[in-house]
Amino acid sequence: MDLLLDNGFFLLKGAYYTLLITVISIFFGLIIGIAVALARLKGSRPIRWLARAYVSVIRGTPALVQIFIVYYGLVDYGITLDSLTAACMALSINVGAYLSETFRGAILSIPKGQTEAAYASGMTSWQALRRIVFPQAARVAIAPMGNTFIGMLKESSLVAVIAVTELLRSAQLLIAQYYVNMPFYLGIAVMYWVMSTVFSAILEQIEKRLSKAY
Amino acid sequence: MIQTIGLSKTFHDAEVLKNIDLRVAKSEIVVLLGPSGSGKSTLLRCLNGLEELSGGVVEVNGIRVDAAMKSREKHAKFREIRRQTGMVFQQFNLYPHKTALGNVIESLLIVKKMPREQAVQVGEQLLERVGLADKKDAFPSRLSGGQQQRVAIARALAMEPAIMLFDEPTSALDPELVGEVLDVMRQLAKEGMTMVVVTHEMKFARQVANRIVFMDGGSIVEEAEPAAFFREPQTERARRFLNQLSDY
Repeated sequence: MDLLLDNGFFLLKGAYYTLLITVISIFFGLIIGIAVALARLKGSRPIRWLARAYVSVIRGTPALVQIFIVYYGLVDYGITLDSLTAACMALSINVGAYLSETFRGAILSIPKGQTEAAYASGMTSWQALRRIVFPQAARVAIAPMGNTFIGMLKESSLVAVIAVTELLRSAQLLIAQYYVNMPFYLGIAVMYWVMSTVFSAILEQIEKRLSKAY
Repeated sequence: MIQTIGLSKTFHDAEVLKNIDLRVAKSEIVVLLGPSGSGKSTLLRCLNGLEELSGGVVEVNGIRVDAAMKSREKHAKFREIRRQTGMVFQQFNLYPHKTALGNVIESLLIVKKMPREQAVQVGEQLLERVGLADKKDAFPSRLSGGQQQRVAIARALAMEPAIMLFDEPTSALDPELVGEVLDVMRQLAKEGMTMVVVTHEMKFARQVANRIVFMDGGSIVEEAEPAAFFREPQTERARRFLNQLSDY
């Protein structure tokens, strides 16, 4: 316990990076997810095909491999990214694919009559999406989205392998210094759990607010 | 006001509308009758472009759309048409995430870009007109089917349409709620609205329509004034249709 307290600041800094990577990746993942979902639903044939290929490749390969490709693989082409940037990039691309599937399903679940009513009143297809379909789809998407976010938080530990000093790697560094394992691993397990729980609580609040409307 | 010339519509290989020539004059109320699958709803939906035309011409309030136009141009023209026509659907299609008032003013805010205060004023008047002023803050899920459909009519009226299209507006309603919706439609008819109505309400057709257009198999089979149509239909198919109805 003393070991943990003595190194608390170091671990908290790790937790900060875990959170930072998660939030940044979710932010860009959301943008990618919406764009890809729309590309698959409304795009021309080649765009639809591209979007489908992206989702299929990302979901069909391990996140760890994706991280290696972005961090080590791109170096071969003269693109050198610092590890934090590479981590965020790889995870954004990864989570974007999963979110795009969630969004696509949610948008498809809104009855066609909603769009028709919007069109019939003179709206453009973008206006109908923004004002009528998205608000309803968000409600459908929020629960599966929450699962993806929490998965993301935990998956961010993968980037320890490219030397981003997030929570897991912080613990590993301390272990290398003190030659004891358990307290540090247990310590960060608790910290992950606390962060997940807080995340869930926030999402639950959002879900409640969204469903209160009708 | 409305004119179609040689309008046709095919789904995959099936011809749903064949060479339809329909004219509707200003303030005229036309009821489309016919067995299910006869193409009435499809015809109605072709008038504001919810269905794509396969051939022919649709002209509404002076805006002409030819099936041969480029699709971008067709979309633009139909959007113009939709700003001047209101449509009421069988399933109401109210926006569930908006209140009754929110539903009514949505197109005013988004399409007409009207300032909110002004839109709210217009919206409240419209809800009053359909007898639902006290329900303006209710979400659709809290309204009965008849109330929902009246809100939908108010919503369709918000853009001050020159023409109203009704696609089986009472078919999804419990029998005791049909009357309140038909009353609102009668009122509109009295105010001189141009209306095209697909319905199975024969009493409404007989009392309110200026003209009955009877369709079968994707074609207009017979057109007549309601009194004449119901007394002595000229075609065998119309006679059979009316007989089937009176059997019940």
